[in-house]
Amino acid sequence: MNQNFSTHTKTLKLASWLGWKMESNWADWWIFAVYSVVRPLASSMILVVMYWVIAKSGNAQASGSYNLTFMYLGNAFFMFVGNVLYGVAWTIHEDREHYQMLKYIFISPAKMYFYLFGRGTAKLFITVFAVIATIAFGMLVLKIPIDLSAVNYPMLVLVTGIGLLGIAALGVILAAVSMVTAHHSFYLTEGVAGLFFLVSGAIFPIEVLPGWLQKISLINPLTYWIELARRYITGEKMCQVLSSISNLELFFILTLSTLILVYLSVIIYRFFEHLAVQRGLIDRLTNF
Amino acid sequence: MKTDLKTNLKSIWARAYVRIVGANREPSWILSETVLPLLNTAAFVYVYKALRAPEEYIGFVILGGAMTAYWMNVLWSMASQFYWEKEMGNLELYLIAPISRMSILLGMAIGGIFYATLRAVVVFVFGSLIFRVNFFISGVVELFLIFILTMIALYGMGMFFASLFMLWGREAWHTSNLFQEPIYLLGGFFFPVKTLGYTVAMFASAIPISLGLDGMRQLCFKTGKTLGFLDVKIEILLLLGLSIFYIWISHYALLFMENLGKKQGRLTLKWQ
Amino acid sequence: MNHAIETLKLNRTFKIKKAKDKPAPSFITALEEVNLTINKGELFGLLGPNGAGKTTLIKILCTLLLPTSGTALVDGVDVVKNPALVRRRINMVSGGEHSGYGILNVRENLWMFSQFYGVPKKIAYERIDTLLKLFGLDEFAKTRIGKLSTGMRQKMNVIRGFVSDPEILFFDEPTLGLDVQIAREVRKYIANWVKNNSQKTVLLTTHYMAEADELCDRIAIIDHGKVIACDSPSNLKKLLRKETIVHIEINLTDENFEHFSQLPGVKKFALEHKHNIGRTELKFILENDSAISQVTQALSSNGSKIISLSKTDPSLEDVFVALVGRSLESEN
Ligand SMILES: Nc1ncnc2c1ncn2[C@@H]1O[C@H](COP(=O)(O)OP(=O)(O)OP(=O)(O)O)[C@@H](O)[C@H]1O
Ligand SMILES: [Mg+2]
Repeated sequence: MNQNFSTHTKTLKLASWLGWKMESNWADWWIFAVYSVVRPLASSMILVVMYWVIAKSGNAQASGSYNLTFMYLGNAFFMFVGNVLYGVAWTIHEDREHYQMLKYIFISPAKMYFYLFGRGTAKLFITVFAVIATIAFGMLVLKIPIDLSAVNYPMLVLVTGIGLLGIAALGVILAAVSMVTAHHSFYLTEGVAGLFFLVSGAIFPIEVLPGWLQKISLINPLTYWIELARRYITGEKMCQVLSSISNLELFFILTLSTLILVYLSVIIYRFFEHLAVQRGLIDRLTNF
Repeated sequence: MKTDLKTNLKSIWARAYVRIVGANREPSWILSETVLPLLNTAAFVYVYKALRAPEEYIGFVILGGAMTAYWMNVLWSMASQFYWEKEMGNLELYLIAPISRMSILLGMAIGGIFYATLRAVVVFVFGSLIFRVNFFISGVVELFLIFILTMIALYGMGMFFASLFMLWGREAWHTSNLFQEPIYLLGGFFFPVKTLGYTVAMFASAIPISLGLDGMRQLCFKTGKTLGFLDVKIEILLLLGLSIFYIWISHYALLFMENLGKKQGRLTLKWQ
Repeated sequence: MNHAIETLKLNRTFKIKKAKDKPAPSFITALEEVNLTINKGELFGLLGPNGAGKTTLIKILCTLLLPTSGTALVDGVDVVKNPALVRRRINMVSGGEHSGYGILNVRENLWMFSQFYGVPKKIAYERIDTLLKLFGLDEFAKTRIGKLSTGMRQKMNVIRGFVSDPEILFFDEPTLGLDVQIAREVRKYIANWVKNNSQKTVLLTTHYMAEADELCDRIAIIDHGKVIACDSPSNLKKLLRKETIVHIEINLTDENFEHFSQLPGVKKFALEHKHNIGRTELKFILENDSAISQVTQALSSNGSKIISLSKTDPSLEDVFVALVGRSLESEN
């Protein structure tokens, strides 16, 4: 058991180191620029411009407490979803077809499951920086009102951590699916991130969604995660639908659903791993 | 000369065939290529809904969301494909063959357009139905012309990028990542490009899709003209210019990069 | 008439990216003043240890790499000035390559590659089917290439080279990783192809002595980028007709025996550690038979136990030892 535990921690360490090497083997500043500045800022700017174009046309009677801060923060935090999900899920394809070494990791005593988590950490660190840079840019350049003295830092860090665990677990689920799908599963990750973007209330309040999509949003742990993060930053309740739920209750829901996700990821991973080995897909090449 | 042309045409078909057959044999892309992009587009629609934006903005987003398919296709399945080909060992076989490198790229493009068009059509048709977009087509011929020219210029630009990817290793990957969002922004996929201001919009017009989208929006929606950037006729001329420019420059860039690669010995280098 | 291949003072250096701790970039000379003339209809071998420059030469001739200086002509056409013309005449196959697309089957992949040479559809399929049968791959024609074994895969690669029916075919270690049986089939086909088509030329690289010896009309031995000998295998072996060749096996040892080259009567010698059978093999090129006792005495005074000693006819391997003072098969 103990032996197992140390193998797992070693796997995690090795995988994060590997992930880091792969991300940064070219020229560090360049990678950093791409993932921490250019991409995040460009994607934030798309939303900001969308907001501006409506505000300028004098039509800005946005619903409820919806405003630029809501949208900007939600989008910033959502970067964790895109990047960590991608960092974990893409590992399968990258190691299988690009480095062609998935089979070697597979046959090593290291558990793939932990290896996947580890590979996500590199992306995670880059994203932490990206989120901070985005928020700083928003405050300084775009003059988005955020009061730094109102932020509940300890809770923000805790909640972010729990949310990230859930996202990584989702990444593992996608990675598991990628083991049996072709190269183009790249779009799968992108699409799933898109789905969560729609039903997590990241960039618009879920009350504008039709009823059934609202219900889906309410079973999505990320909805609670993003709302909590926003609340701990601004000190205000942002989402109307969730306004009757206290911070503590939200926290409880988030923790519980994250645990469920992690549990699910273990089961789903095992299932697809078995399937992949059975069908001999561990070392195939599907790019075309 | 004539046999040259024949060989090149055959190569285009052979390379496209791989993708078309591949699409049939690995159908796992259908869900990810159709339903999921639609969801992504919907997210932007709801932003406008939450902002209580005028109705035509919904249509703008649907059109933009549909066109992302082609941009993704150019970026990931054509430009950076050279890098994958190098890793797999096919690039050197293409390079020793007596054909133009553009034929290979064109083959990839034709194969890829098949996917992209499906994605675009699904987003466009279902998006329009679900969000009840009202169209007001004011010029079918112009619309067709703009779309075709946008495609030519866009895929020409893809070929230009591909020349860079011929030499790059993993950095190519990061470069694709680098380009994806900024071009969503500058291309005006989710808002009229005019919003960026005249100077930025002018600069952004180097990306064929920004003029293309702008023109298509002007021709598809009632208020499109007032929110448009330049006159549609001018946009068509500019797109024609861009098409010629990108095809011309990619021809030389491909030659240049190939030669540089041959000089530095990087053309066949793997595992960078 | 043009030669199939002609190189004149061909040089190629590679710049090695400067490491963080080193002030200046360093250079590797992969080819140095290479002069080769290969006739049409010849099966020509490049023989040399790892890193000798064999692949580099092939790449230059295939228009994948520019020489740093010098000229290379393929069928009289300059590879630098007119690569497009060269490409119509050539094809290349390397050992262990992973070309093609996993989504296509063997026949489709071969068809695809034939199209890059404009081979008419009907002819392409005829050639493909004939070759598949010949190589015993016909039952795998409809198998996706991801499911082939390494050997079948390499057979497919070799077929790919022939499908475009080039004038000059380059093989970079065509039998790499193949078992003896399949390697023999591949060699046989290559040899026959050249024999039956008087105008077709093959240039192949290998570091298997026997392959070069058995297959090639002429061989260039190349080491550290330099051609150190170029002739038919039998002529190369004749270089050693006056010398005595002795192979001695002793217990595996780490000693380097350098002083042995100073022994009277020893012209050249090389050693090779055979870890798998726990022996070290010493190969001596001696001036005459009387030097044998010198060597055995020196060995026993060294404390080495002689397991076997044989006097042999010269092989290409011995020619290599005599020319370079190293064993081709040794680890460095
Ligand atoms: N693209 C490159 N960049 C830098 N150095 C290179 C490059 N290609 C080859 N080299 C170097 O040039 C030398 C010759 O390499 P080459 O591949 O031609 O050897 P080879 O004879 O084919 O060896 P092997 O038997 O191992 O295939 C080697 O030292 C190699 O490291
Ligand atoms: Mg080699």
